Amino acid sequence: MEKLFSFKLNGRQVSVSAPPAYTLLEVLREKLDVTSPKEDCGKGECGACTVLMNGRTVLSCLVLISQADGAEIVTSEGFMRDGSPDHVQKAFIENGAVQCGHCIPGFIVSTEALLSRNPKPSVEEIKTALAGNLCRCTGYASIIRAVQKASENN
Amino acid sequence: MKLNEIEVVSAKTLNDALSVLHDQSDEIKPIAGGTDAIIQAKEASLQTKRFLDISSLPELRYIRREGSVIRIGALSTYSDIIESSMLNSSCRMLVEASRTIGSLQIQNRATIGGNLGNASPAGDTIPPLYALDANVKVQNHEHSRLVPVEKFFLGYRKIDLMPDELITEISFEAVEDPYDGTFLKLGLRERHFISLVSLAISVKWAPDGDRFSNVRVALGAVAPVALRARKCEEYLKNRTLAEEMIWNAGKIASGESSPISDLRAPANYRRAVIPSLLYQAAQSLIADRQRRQKP
Repeated sequence: MEKLFSFKLNGRQVSVSAPPAYTLLEVLREKLDVTSPKEDCGKGECGACTVLMNGRTVLSCLVLISQADGAEIVTSEGFMRDGSPDHVQKAFIENGAVQCGHCIPGFIVSTEALLSRNPKPSVEEIKTALAGNLCRCTGYASIIRAVQKASENN
Repeated sequence: MKLNEIEVVSAKTLNDALSVLHDQSDEIKPIAGGTDAIIQAKEASLQTKRFLDISSLPELRYIRREGSVIRIGALSTYSDIIESSMLNSSCRMLVEASRTIGSLQIQNRATIGGNLGNASPAGDTIPPLYALDANVKVQNHEHSRLVPVEKFFLGYRKIDLMPDELITEISFEAVEDPYDGTFLKLGLRERHFISLVSLAISVKWAPDGDRFSNVRVALGAVAPVALRARKCEEYLKNRTLAEEMIWNAGKIASGESSPISDLRAPANYRRAVIPSLLYQAAQSLIADRQRRQKP
């Protein structure tokens, strides 16, 4: 049986009817057409579904929509500025950190969370903060470079 | 039942949660951070008609000190533990263990109560809690009881918890200088990994600083439940610390383990690395002690 849930999504209040054990990821993608978070592993290993929930990175494939009722959710889309990429998203593009692109929305959210808490992270701190996001294309060097560049413009 | 078909009851208060459990404990499973339970429900290893969502009960999310006792609400996340300045200064090994669990996304969501309730042999907060002689508080709608953590784990994924009870608090005596401790774990990569073997050691230094006057050693992922290596502890206690002696202690601890072979490592490998972990842990405690002694 579906229930009504409301929460803040990328700054907007939304209400959505869904089965209570749908994952937040399913609701975002299937009910609200917010498709930047991806389901790759579905079990907490890859980080492609990373979103901010009340200011913290979480895996939206491991959060029930019931648990997100009333929360504040931000996806990669939520960091855009007037329809354009923000400085983190630009740094990823400009540093060749995006190849197939599938994992990137998760990396963007983890990077935004890192830089908001730690504006000038060391390489070790970047690696720790992004350890839960897997990328099978880039080998990470360009991603780390992009985060460093983004932190310079922070 | 598929994950999507499970009903969810959202508790707003602890009393609310306990009375729901009292009324329908056979058909409902508590869920907190969900980082294990949701995966298990997806994979159908957890079967339930209903989840009781307790993830947003504010009453069970706290870390505080009362006199010499540290109390951690069961819904405290690993991030809460890692960021607690009180725990960083008085219980380093629990912070170290929390930092090695999963990724940041997992640490932001997963709870210490969930780690106990899930009862994986590789649960990483469990060896530190053994080495701290912690107590687990469980409650139903009428009573609460305190269970020593070693008695809480009954066997492989079996815990001393009735269907109408919730884990509500973990408590232990604060670890003071000259008490100290550390946590180490070995896995197949540097970050975001499951323990092949983990070790927590809590010590009290003798005043002359060349031996431990008290020591507790706990091992994880090498038996159906975590275990205290009591023969190893006896051997270490009040014996002057020296290279060979520490290696001997490690061998004794290894003999107290009963690991299995699985996809991550064969049993003999797990047994073989226990002395190395104990050696590293002892050396880091010795180095810390020397650092502290410098004027």
